[in-house]
Amino acid sequence: MNFELSQDHKVLQDAVRDFVNNEIKPIAMQIDEDHAIPDELVRKMAEMGFLGSYLPEEYGGAGLDMLSYAIVIEEVSKACGSSGVLISAHTSLACGPIDTFGSHEQKQKWLTPLNTGEKIGCILLTEPDAGSDAGAVTTSYRKEGDEYVVNGSKIFITNGGYLGTGVLFATSDKSLRHKGISAFIVDLQSPGISILKNENKMGIRGTYTTAFALDDVRIPAENLLGEEGQGFKIAMDTLNGGRVGIAAQALGIAEGAFERSLDYSKERKQFGKAISELQAIQFKLADMYSRIETSKLMTYKAAWMKDAKLEYSMESALCKMLASEAATYVTKEAIQIHGGYGFICDYEVERMYRDAKITEIYEGTNEVQRVVISKQLLR
Amino acid sequence: MKILVCIKQVPDMESRFKPAADGLWFDETDLAWRMNEYDEYAVEQAVQLKEQLGKEPELTVLSIGSDRVVEAIKKALAMGADRATHIQDAAAQQKDPWQIASIITAYAKDKDFDLIFTGMQSQDRGSAQVGVLVAELLGIASATTVVDFSFADGVVSVKRELEGGIKGLVSLQTPALVTCQLGLNVPRYPTLPNIMKAKKKEIEAIAVDSLLSEQAIAPTAQVYAPVRKGGGIVLEGDVGDMVQNLLGILKEKTAVVV
Amino acid sequence: MKVLLVCEYREGKLLDTSYELVAFADTLGAEKVAVLVGDEAAVPQLDAPVYLADVALCGEYNPAVHKAAVLAAVEKEQPDYIVFSHSSYGWDLAPRVAVALKVGQVTEVVGIVDGDFEVGCCNAKMRRKVKPTTARAVLTLQAGAFAAVAPQAAPRVERLEVAIDGQGLTFVGYEAAEVKVVDLTKAEVIVTAGRGVGKKDNISLIADLAKAMGGELGASRPVVDAEWVEHSHQVGTTGQSVSPKLYVACGVSGAIQHLAGMKKSDFVVAINKDKDAPIGEMADVLVVADVLQFVPVLTAQLQG
Ligand SMILES: Cc1cc2nc3c(=O)[nH]c(=O)nc-3n(C[C@H](O)[C@H](O)[C@H](O)COP(=O)(O)OP(=O)(O)OC[C@H]3O[C@@H](n4cnc5c(N)ncnc54)[C@H](O)[C@@H]3O)c2cc1C
Ligand SMILES: Cc1cc2nc3c(=O)[nH]c(=O)nc-3n(C[C@H](O)[C@H](O)[C@H](O)COP(=O)(O)OP(=O)(O)OC[C@H]3O[C@@H](n4cnc5c(N)ncnc54)[C@H](O)[C@@H]3O)c2cc1C
Repeated sequence: MNFELSQDHKVLQDAVRDFVNNEIKPIAMQIDEDHAIPDELVRKMAEMGFLGSYLPEEYGGAGLDMLSYAIVIEEVSKACGSSGVLISAHTSLACGPIDTFGSHEQKQKWLTPLNTGEKIGCILLTEPDAGSDAGAVTTSYRKEGDEYVVNGSKIFITNGGYLGTGVLFATSDKSLRHKGISAFIVDLQSPGISILKNENKMGIRGTYTTAFALDDVRIPAENLLGEEGQGFKIAMDTLNGGRVGIAAQALGIAEGAFERSLDYSKERKQFGKAISELQAIQFKLADMYSRIETSKLMTYKAAWMKDAKLEYSMESALCKMLASEAATYVTKEAIQIHGGYGFICDYEVERMYRDAKITEIYEGTNEVQRVVISKQLLR
Repeated sequence: MKILVCIKQVPDMESRFKPAADGLWFDETDLAWRMNEYDEYAVEQAVQLKEQLGKEPELTVLSIGSDRVVEAIKKALAMGADRATHIQDAAAQQKDPWQIASIITAYAKDKDFDLIFTGMQSQDRGSAQVGVLVAELLGIASATTVVDFSFADGVVSVKRELEGGIKGLVSLQTPALVTCQLGLNVPRYPTLPNIMKAKKKEIEAIAVDSLLSEQAIAPTAQVYAPVRKGGGIVLEGDVGDMVQNLLGILKEKTAVVV
Repeated sequence: MKVLLVCEYREGKLLDTSYELVAFADTLGAEKVAVLVGDEAAVPQLDAPVYLADVALCGEYNPAVHKAAVLAAVEKEQPDYIVFSHSSYGWDLAPRVAVALKVGQVTEVVGIVDGDFEVGCCNAKMRRKVKPTTARAVLTLQAGAFAAVAPQAAPRVERLEVAIDGQGLTFVGYEAAEVKVVDLTKAEVIVTAGRGVGKKDNISLIADLAKAMGGELGASRPVVDAEWVEHSHQVGTTGQSVSPKLYVACGVSGAIQHLAGMKKSDFVVAINKDKDAPIGEMADVLVVADVLQFVPVLTAQLQG
């Protein structure tokens, strides 16, 4: 057993870290204030290969592994949670299912521009009345000749505003519940797709969270992903991978807040000494660190299991749950360690606190993760 | 054309240093390591030259050190070097520049490199000798502290950085060696696809004993923390208080802030 | 003990740093001889033999030929130490001489401690003692480590004949320094931005402080290399040498090449989040703080 990163992973970690320190960290606050990630940064991340890290080289990906992917998101999220989830939603939620369930032709056509960042990807699953209960999707499709015609609406779609490539879930008959759902690859510039709204949010404000109306959207039959009726399975498989990305995002946010807190506790003096000399602060640091380390171990383990092609739905639920709860805990304590300064935007830990919260919600709320975990325990 | 780049792995200079137990080097535990900054410019320049000349030149990167330095080697490969040589030496930090240069020379002497790039110095040892020593031992021309580089028709044209913003223009017939100064170019980040490609590149390992026959002639006798001159006032703590303190001091001690 | 001083000459003039070599020899109480590739009018003024090779034949920069000149002087005088300034001339030539003699070299000596040569390491955060094992040794001296002595008597000049062979290297000429947009040498207050300011956008914070203090903006080299600030603001060996009444270094680590340009300042304030940063040694006041937090508050106070 070996818990060391390989040298290749260390080289990657260093390269990403340098990039993040020079290109992302200096503008993280501005990304939050502007509610936008500059296109220039998206382009640079694409050039770095961040948008196709674990996908095959044959289709323009970097051909690395899931652990590399987790490291990229972790490092990026240390500085900017918005940029972290842009990568995560794009890679595991759009590229992921196309890579796993797509045909060679589909991969050539859709995966290549996604991996190189020419198109930004997203997943369109959630609806106003279908959140945790993804089987309750009501967006409908019907076949007409060589096309599927889709009607309905989708909400909360990360990266939706880029109008790139989406993996869309719709049902042929909602009374069939899970069994009626199919997945489609959709060009979001197609007629009939309109943006209802880009949401204003508590955190990860740099990302798009888009609501779409779908009116008679015509999707070529060849864009069906997998088989008809396989949609729910595709969604669940996709979310398994996605949770590792969200765990890495949460981990990065927690680490970013922890680094700042550790430094600050050594700099800040009250009652004639650094606050790091107070046991109350020392215990906070110990608690924060222990949660970070456990979530890191579980996140890397889940990534390693996926790379080893082992069944990892338990671990992906565990790491997402642990890391997101570490993130909300650590960022909250980070503000406490900073005292009043922590509440002031300039110190950035308040942003991390706001960014952390969503990781307990999306890609399956933590309640849902507990359902997944306990179900497997009691199987 | 054959190009060699010599690189070293050094600690991050923002680390806290303390002497090692034997007092002959600094303690290496808990340090973060990276490629010597000067060497990043060397690698970048070599890769740019390779790009200029098409795919033809073969670019080898060389590093001497423990297994840990393979990280720096892999970075250079991911930046665009073709192949690497790792001269395995767990005690490289105890070698003086003369020994290091002798090792590199022993490796390079029958390989007919047309151009060799090194950093002008390492950030930790700062001896600024190895590049020139290698060139002299190989009997080839060399120029140090290069801030501008171009190559055409077997002639290398460089600008050397002199004091006060003046530059010295020098041309060299190949084979030649240049030592690279900060600001020579903009070193690229290794991209993920290139990190992947680098995994497939060859890293030849050579035991240092097979290349080294020289004794140290300028060994380190002791490494220690500098004695603080003291005298200066150190302000720490609350920002507002420090600002008030500083303004008080400036009013008292200088005529410029009133 | 005998020391050979390798003096330096550029664009028709002897460089003043040559007198720092004299100071070093005096510290050792050693007998001095000097060598110069230059001209008669520019020989160092000291009471010792000076070997002179004709610059008109040798060229101002021609390492193979200059090496031959130094080696000829070594041959005649058999010195214990051969000493150079640690400059673009010295660090280029010294290793060539060392390897030809196969003797140890100690680079950038800052002092002599218990008979050993002391040099900096790890960006001046640590010190190292080096002990050459060879009978003689080559040294380069950190700029300013040994305070220059005044010129003394007229020397006894001896001419050196050396073979002129550049061995593959041709010196083409000098490129003048860029015209200075700002002349920092006359500024009374300089507020300098180092890499610690983090990004280009933050330069304005430092520029605002400079303005509030009625001074000029300075920059360290990485800040100039990254094009955050234009080159004529650079302070240091390869920028300007300044001597303001007040020098405020913001996020500058205090590398020797930076210190070389600002050490003549009357009063130095350093703002750095690393209490161990070498700039602390030079500073009259070291403020341990994040520049981004400290500087705006200071500026606001000054603006009243
Ligand atoms: C910023 C943001 C980005 C998003 N990005 C995307 C995206 O890119 N694509 C996409 O399709 N969706 C996206 N979503 C949707 C997200 O995945 C859902 O919000 C999430 O799955 C929860 O669904 P809900 O909001 O409908 O909450 P609900 O399902 O209504 O849950 C409300 C509460 O009930 C609890 N609950 C529900 N069911 C159970 C149960 N069975 N057992 C125990 N507790 C339960 C939940 O845990 C929660 O506490 C995003 C959401 C946000 C806010
Ligand atoms: C031949 C030669 C000539 C050179 N000439 C020059 C020259 O003319 N001028 C010059 O400047 N350099 C010169 N250099 C480069 C020199 O060696 C150093 O690399 C350079 O001075 C370092 O610049 P810096 O202090 O800005 O950056 P760094 O060494 O990277 O230091 C940054 C500092 O900022 C601090 N810091 C970081 N973040 C913060 C924060 N938020 N708040 C407060 N502090 C922070 C860090 O603790 C660190 O001490 C030369 C080098 C060579 C080899």
